[in-house]
This record gives sequence, structure tokens and C-alpha cells, in this order.
Amino acid sequence: MECEGKTVAKNFLLWIDAVGGFWVCTGETVTIGQPDEGCESSPDVPILGDLLHRHARIRRDGECYLIEAIRDVRVDGRSIPRVDAGAKPLAALADGCRIELGPSVRLRFRRPHALTGTARLEFASHHHTQPTVSAVILMADTCILGPRPHSHIVCRHWTEEVILFKHDNELFCRTKGPMQIDGVKIRDRGRLQYDSQVTGECFSFNLEPL
Amino acid sequence: MNPNASPLLKSAADSPDAGAASPPAAANRRFLYAGGTRPLEGYTLKRGVGQGGFGEIYYAVSDSGKEVALKLIRRNLEVELRGIRQCLNLKHPNLLNLFDIRQDDNGDTWVVMEYVGGLSLQDAIDAQPGGMPIDEALAWIHGIGAAVAYLHDHGIVHRDLKPANIFSDDGIVKVGDYGLSKFISCSRRSGHTESIGTVHYMAPEVANGRYGKEIDVYALGIILYEMLTGRVPFDGESVGEVLMKHLTAQPDVSMLPEPYRGIAAKAMEKDPERRYRSANEFLAALPPLPAALPGTGRLPSGSRGPKDQTANGQEKGNPYFSMGEGPGARAASSETVIAATAIEEEPILRAVREAWTKLVEQWNNAKLNPTAKVLILSGAIVVLLLSMQMWVPLCIVSLIFYGIYRCVRWMVLPANKTATASSVERAPSPPELAKTVAAPAQAPPMAAQAAKREREHWRRHYEKSLPALVLRAPRERVADLLGSMLLSTLVAAAMTAVMAMALAFRDIEPAAEQLAWLFAMSVAGSWTVLVPSKWWEGTKGESMPRRFFMMVLGLGLGVLAWLAAGYFQIELPYDHDLGPIFNGFVPKSFYANASPLLPAYVTVFGTLFLLIRWWRQADPLRSTRLSILSLVVTVLIAGVIAGLWHFPQPWLPLLAATISVSVQLSSPWVHPRERAAARS
Repeated sequence: MECEGKTVAKNFLLWIDAVGGFWVCTGETVTIGQPDEGCESSPDVPILGDLLHRHARIRRDGECYLIEAIRDVRVDGRSIPRVDAGAKPLAALADGCRIELGPSVRLRFRRPHALTGTARLEFASHHHTQPTVSAVILMADTCILGPRPHSHIVCRHWTEEVILFKHDNELFCRTKGPMQIDGVKIRDRGRLQYDSQVTGECFSFNLEPL
Repeated sequence: MNPNASPLLKSAADSPDAGAASPPAAANRRFLYAGGTRPLEGYTLKRGVGQGGFGEIYYAVSDSGKEVALKLIRRNLEVELRGIRQCLNLKHPNLLNLFDIRQDDNGDTWVVMEYVGGLSLQDAIDAQPGGMPIDEALAWIHGIGAAVAYLHDHGIVHRDLKPANIFSDDGIVKVGDYGLSKFISCSRRSGHTESIGTVHYMAPEVANGRYGKEIDVYALGIILYEMLTGRVPFDGESVGEVLMKHLTAQPDVSMLPEPYRGIAAKAMEKDPERRYRSANEFLAALPPLPAALPGTGRLPSGSRGPKDQTANGQEKGNPYFSMGEGPGARAASSETVIAATAIEEEPILRAVREAWTKLVEQWNNAKLNPTAKVLILSGAIVVLLLSMQMWVPLCIVSLIFYGIYRCVRWMVLPANKTATASSVERAPSPPELAKTVAAPAQAPPMAAQAAKREREHWRRHYEKSLPALVLRAPRERVADLLGSMLLSTLVAAAMTAVMAMALAFRDIEPAAEQLAWLFAMSVAGSWTVLVPSKWWEGTKGESMPRRFFMMVLGLGLGVLAWLAAGYFQIELPYDHDLGPIFNGFVPKSFYANASPLLPAYVTVFGTLFLLIRWWRQADPLRSTRLSILSLVVTVLIAGVIAGLWHFPQPWLPLLAATISVSVQLSSPWVHPRERAAARS
């Protein structure tokens, strides 16, 4: 993972003023589990819960998301056979389905925008990441921030959409109105670093590398 | 008393004082500090959480990783700090913890507080509009009562208890926003001019500047009532109305079961001396918590998970202070977290809806004066009428194909695509997996959702658009009405001319008498709408009684239309391209030689005024001065009514269009800028 822009970082935090914090994973495969501070094998989405360090794996496969159970995982109440059972146990995740990890961690999977592959994991139990975020974004090529219900991150009071997108292995941001990225006025689109501060007429957010 | 004087009632959009470090350019929700900065040593700000009357709240992480909320106080510094210092060392499981007060290098003051990301009681109440289960309400009220009793025991009155200030942190009730709490002292019990609290929870004696512990007991009674019924006991269109009810009206506690009926009634007594003397006494009167609920104020497990409801589209409240509150708004909405229940809307329908919404937005935002809009609209109507033979069949064919497509889609695609796959020998392809299991659809039908959206829109419209803006003295109302009636007459004359042109394009050359009839009926119809609408202005009212009343007026208008037709001795010619929808549906007494008789006029006009909510087109708080959507819907409904009752076409749609435009253009309209200004 690089934090200086040239390569799209695997994961980063997106802090949006007056909206929330979001853990953004850009990889095709995301592991979920208990955080292992300072360890290279820490999962992509570390959740403070009764989980293994690598408890489940979510994979984006074209237009579909599949979950693989490394330990006990249930999707909408149905147990998913574990990897160590020998077969290739996978379950497709549909919009709104409920993922249960271990005895108590519950997540909800959302695909708010039908035309993009980006999905969202919401916390349906009291568990959270460290630091606490509102949701986990599984970012495919674009992530839409805006006031409409089908935005990946709904920012109710915003008047315009902001789209984060990958291009040539870099992360960009675009919106209709003027904006500033790290204090530099940008029109239309601009490249983001992984510690960029972005402000517009009605919004402000910043990225933090992980 | 002016509730706006309270810092708690300031708008979220308030910009902070300009006294402190230079803020960025004025913008909505622009925070003074960006994420990642460290204005206060030892803490890194991650993001802004909210803005309020006395500063800003940030979510921050200490150098050692502790998550906190940092409150930057930039207004009413002394008032704020006085309350907060007193509360700094309070320790109770049901109170939001205040950790410290610090100053940064610029001399700005920060309050370090516990960070709670949970659901507010307001969210819980909103999620259960019919009232919450008694066990759940009991758990909440015990937690709140325990916190308030603790505050009282330390000589502090909360003074702003309300559901938006109360939170569930993993099932533990947390009462927040007691930073504005004040000492209870003889010298300060009265004579204080600054109004406090939120009007729906405000005890009557606050109007006299008296704010002892009893005002918290009163608020506890209101909250208990609201939890069990889903609504506050005193509501109204304006702050004044609600306050007046607090002062004079008796709460209707009849729907509460005992012992809650008696407890709520006593807590809400007008005379503070007759209420429970303390929160402890109030708590003692409540039934005990079920033994299964561990810990003070621990909520039942079903209501504990704050994020379950977040996932369902509820927004979390703000544990630190209320935001965006105007006099009429009770619920504080603060952090907008991922909302949006994903609605599986059919793509074509969604595209059409979005295109229409965009078109309407562009129309509404177009910098055109009303005259230009009328001209454009009239031109569009003429073009549509001219090309009717071309697009009507096209629309019908498209609708048929779309209906077939929807049927096929409904049969092929499961309503809810939830799918799981169990162990398989080979790695299945994603589409196969997606087909394996389908759960039943749980989303409500689109029509119900649309109706809900509509209700929600109008609820917000009336609760947040400040009906006070349109409440006028009777004399002013009469003057307004007379002006509107005069203006509507002029607009009706212009519209009659436009309609004459439209008829000419359909090869109907209207006689002067026919146009006179159209004009006279347009004026009469506009006045029929304007008068009752002015009477109902600024009030919600129920739709059905109003429809009934309008129908009665419509029947009268039908008689007038028949008399006018006789007076002008006119026949209304038929445009045979727009014939009746059904044959043989209409009684023979309606027509003689294809000419409508009195029963036809009365029925047609009665139906027209029953089916259309005309008063909304005259509402000063309507979204735009001239709404195309309202006009189109009005014309369509009129066309259908005329088709059903075999009334000569296109006279009724023409008349309805003329009335609609006349009413909308002649009725007063409060510009959104004025509404925004009034809110702030």
C-alpha cells in the first residue's frame, strides 16, 4: 500500500464533516476479523468483536459479491460451510442481506447503486472498527457521495454529488462545482493523495491513509 | 418569551462567531478545522460532527487512541462554561461524561466529552409512530429519570430534556446536553429572561421565568407520554400555539394505560406544586424495571442495537447538542449517516422519475418571471394539443409494452435477491449463486412508499416550513384575499385568450359567448378555490373534510356553470378526438341532444372539486409559485372526469387549467429564501 498517490491504496479512511467516517477498501478481496495491532496480517476490516484475526473474506467477482467463511459465518441466518471443510464454500451477497460473524457481530450488506460495483457494509450490531466509523465501503471503480438515496455514502445536506473514482491506478475526485484539494482550486476533477483535504461549496472531507 | 433566544434553538447553519481564528469562507457546514489537524494538543481531529448555536463539535482521537468528542465553544462562552464546569465531575452511568475543559494556543476553549455514536430516543420514537412497547419505554424513562435525579441531587436542573438529547449507548441510556444546566438557587429561580428548553417539552411556568426542578419533571411526563403514544401531548402549527396549550390545555391521557396515565397526568400538572416534587419521586411512582433487564436504564435487547435502525435508514442523533432546530422542529437531526433503505426500483421507472424530477427542478430554478412561464406553458399546451393524435397512441403503445415488461420482470426476477449458496462440489458461477435462494420481499409496495413519501413531504412542509410565516391577522387576510381575487380575474382573462388559441389549433373556433362562459367560470372557479384556501391557510387540516367541502362548492359551481351556459345561450361543441371513456355509463337525464343538462354540470364540477386538492395550489408554502406538476395533474384529472361523464371535451380540462394557473399565480407565495431566513 502506498500513501502518496501513485498507486491506489488498498484501504483508507474517509472522514466527512457532518456526515461520518468511512473505512474504504479498494481491493477485490477484503478480509474481516479481529484487529491485530501492529501485525502485518491484520485484516482489511478490523472489527472489535469476538472474531478470529481472519474470520471471513468478501470477494468482488464482476458484478457479484461472494463471501467465504474462514470461521463461522451466517448469511440471512444460513450457515456458510467453512473453508476448512474442503469444498469451495461461497455465498453470494444480495442487497440488504445480513451477515453474522461469530456469536455476535452482525453486518448488513448494501448495494445502493445498481450501476456500480461498489457496496457498503453497515454495522447491525454494536460492534465497530478502531477508530469507529459509520460503515465500510467496498469500493469498485467509483464511490458516490451525495444527497440521493442511491449514493454509496448518503450526505443528506449536500446539494451536489462528489464522485471518487479510480483511474490509471490513482484516485481522483470530481464534482460539478468548484472545489479545493489541499488548498488548490480545482475545476471538474482532481487527483487525490491519501491524506488529501477536499472542500467544496457545501462539503468538506479528508482522507487518512491506513 | 422568545424561545429563539436559547442557544439550543439556533440553527445548525449558524456560522460561529467571527471572533476566534479566521474561519474559512462562509459555507454551509464548513467547519473551522479540517480533519487531521491538531488545534488542541494531544488530540487529532478526524471530522466535524455538527455545528450549533454555541460552537462546533468534532470527533477526535487522542494520541493514545481514545475516541472523544471535542466541543469548541465559540458563543455564549461564559454561559456554557458556567454550566459545564459545574457538571464536570458528575459521574453517573446515564449521563454523558464530560472529561475536561481545555484551552488551545489561540485561547479557544474546548470541552472534551465522551463520544457516543448511538441512536437517540427521538429516533426510537420516530421508528415506532404508534408508541413503543411498555417495557422499552420503562427502560428509557428509568434511565432518564435516574440521570435527572442525579442532576437534581447535585443541585442542577437540566432544563432541556427532550428525546433528541437522550441516547442509547449499547443499551445504556445516556442523557446529554446538560452543559447548559444551571444551578438551582433562590436568586436565579426567577427573573431570568433567557428562555430555555424546547417548546414541546417546556413547562408552563418557564413563561414566567421560573425554572426549578419541576420543569424537568414536567419534561419527564411529556417524554413518557410521547414514548407510549408516539406523539407529544401538545402540538401545533406555531411556537405560540404550543406554548398556549402548555399554559391552558389539559393533556389527553385517556389512551395511556394505568398506572402511566396517572403518573403522566401528575407530572404534566400545570401547577408545579402539584407535580412530583423531584425526579426521584417520579421514579418511585413508576413500575419497577423487569428483573431481566440488567443495570440501571439498560434497554431491552430488541431496542439496544443502535445501528440496526441506522441500517434501516434512520439517522443517528447528535449526542452533544441539538442541531437544525427551529421553533417548529422537535427532532434534532445531526450526523447524517448512511441512510437510505435500498429500494429496488425498476430502472425505467426510476429513469423516468429522475428525468421528471430534473425537469421540474430546472423549471423551478429557471430565472423566468411568472409571465414568461405562463407563455412557455401555454405554448407547450398548444403544441401538445396539436400533436395529440401523434403522441397519445405512442404513449398508449409504450404503456402496453411497459406493462408487459413489468409483468415479465415480476415473474422472472425475485422481489428480493437475497441469496446464499451452500457447499458445492464445483465453484459455482455468480449468477448460479444468485439464483439459489430467494427470500420473500419485505419492502412495501412502491405505491405505499410513494404515499409515505408524500405524507412525509407534507408533514415536513408544515412542521418545518414555518407556518408562522403565513399566519396573518384577519384584516390582512381579507386584504390579501381581495388582491388575489382581483389578480386571478386578470390571469383568467389572459388564460382564456390562450385557451381560445389552443381551441383554434384544434379547428374549434369558439364563439364570443363560449369564451365569455369560459372566462366567467374561470373567475368563479378561482374564487371558489381562493376563499376557502385563504381560510385554511397555515393550518394542516384533514384532507377528507376539505375535499367534501370543496365538493359542495363544486356542486354549486356546477349550478352556476349551467345557469351561465343558459344565460349566454351556448352549446359546448365536442372535440370528437377526445370522446367519452365509457359508453352507456351516464344516466339519460344528464344530456339532451348531446347537450349537458343541470345534473351533468353539477356532477362534473362536484367530481372535479372532490378529486383535486385545490387548496394546495393556493398554499403560500407550496414548493414553487407555479407548479407544472400540479397543472398537468389537474388537467389530466379534469380530462378523465369529462371522459367518464361524457362532458363535452376539452372544455373541462381547459377550464381546470385556467383555474389552476389563475389560483397559483394570484395566491401569495413565500420564497424559499424567506423560509430559510425564518428558520435560521
